[in-house]
Amino acid sequence: MDVLLASSAEAFRLLFSGDAEIWEIVGISFRVSSLAILCAVPPALIIAFVLAYGNFFGRRLLISLFNTFLSIPAVVIGLTLFIVLSRQGPLGDFKLLFTQTAMGLGQFLLCLPILVCMVHVSLQAADRAAWETARTLGASRVRAFFTVIYEIRFGLMAALLAGYGRIISEVGASMMLGGNIAHYTRNIPTAIALETSKGAFAEGIALGMVLLFLAFLVNALLQYVQGKGSINP
Amino acid sequence: MIESFRIGFRDISKRYGGNSVLEQTGIDIASHDCIVITGKNGAGKTTLLRIIAGLEEPDRGRVILDDGAPQRWRQQRKRLLRSVMYLHQQPYMLAGSLQRNIDYAARLNPAIADRASSVAKAIHWARLDGLEAQAASSLSGGQKQRVALTRARLRDPQILLLDEPTANLDNESRQRTLQMLREFCDSGTAVIIVSHDPDVFGELATRELLLQDHRIRDAAETAHEVVELDSVRQSRQR
Repeated sequence: MDVLLASSAEAFRLLFSGDAEIWEIVGISFRVSSLAILCAVPPALIIAFVLAYGNFFGRRLLISLFNTFLSIPAVVIGLTLFIVLSRQGPLGDFKLLFTQTAMGLGQFLLCLPILVCMVHVSLQAADRAAWETARTLGASRVRAFFTVIYEIRFGLMAALLAGYGRIISEVGASMMLGGNIAHYTRNIPTAIALETSKGAFAEGIALGMVLLFLAFLVNALLQYVQGKGSINP
Repeated sequence: MIESFRIGFRDISKRYGGNSVLEQTGIDIASHDCIVITGKNGAGKTTLLRIIAGLEEPDRGRVILDDGAPQRWRQQRKRLLRSVMYLHQQPYMLAGSLQRNIDYAARLNPAIADRASSVAKAIHWARLDGLEAQAASSLSGGQKQRVALTRARLRDPQILLLDEPTANLDNESRQRTLQMLREFCDSGTAVIIVSHDPDVFGELATRELLLQDHRIRDAAETAHEVVELDSVRQSRQR
């Protein structure tokens, strides 16, 4: 218990003393994860939409595949991409391994199925009449698409939260694809793993606190937006 | 005022799985028409409306515009989506206020120059004044129906399709809805109503059709009564 208290106190000191290394790690984490999820949103919306409203051969198989990818371990994504991006791999010439791009790619693949599945469920739960009303009012397909997305915005935000939560805290893919290089690819989860292995619990706890605080911040923001969006509280 | 038009649907067939819903049936629609379609539950009334609206593809079917050559439904789908408007039995209200719902329709009509004024006039037309800021989802059934009709007015469709528009409405809302539908017909829009209670539209209807055994029939053939009210239509055209 004493160790926990002492480490927590030291963690607070590190955070509020403006320890440059810790905040650099926080910055890398959020830059990579934010970019990954931003890149994943457009294809996820389109895939979810096609799965929800499309009528084509193999649709159910695709839905099952995306549902299966929900439970894929981050380390498996990391390993697969590691092989693809390594020097002998098909994309080896791009020299992406142990870069932030590789980490972002891994996180993109991790959050894509979450976004697809959750948006797909939201679309299925939503009234199909939203799409038809927009179309019959003269909206183009693109306009009707964005109308429907607006109708399911809360479900979309929940999907974003879940996806972000998964990638900001994953360690397997980031470790394999980024290599945990100081000042470059060291993010919060890989730094926590490293500091803990060294016995530097205070740094680990400090970074864990940042993760928790930011998770809280994002959730609070969502609650605020939902509250504002709801005309009938 | 809608320009005079005629549109015919021919040999429309639709199956769901192994069940045939519509078989080689058709319907002719012209400006100023007010057609009431009746039939048992599951007869295919809603399916027929959705095919006319361009929302559901038939297995087979052709469309004839004015005196043109018959064309496949798929070739005319875009045109149908442009010129036909379908109102669901439970009108869908977009998220947000009544004003947003009406404004959404106005934005989609490029012919509307002064959007704010058109929206205000449309709201007044529907007697929805004072409810602009209210959440559309919290409106009563009758008010939602009027919002849907107001959006349709701003859309200015050639054909307006309604699925049980007066179901679950009180007498006042029903009368207001009928009045609004009459104004659509008077302006040249063809109104097609699916209803289990055709008597409600007695004064409005120019034709009453029955969907039976997967086909459209003139109700007069079945009921042995005159329902073709061409004189009503002609008086409107005048």
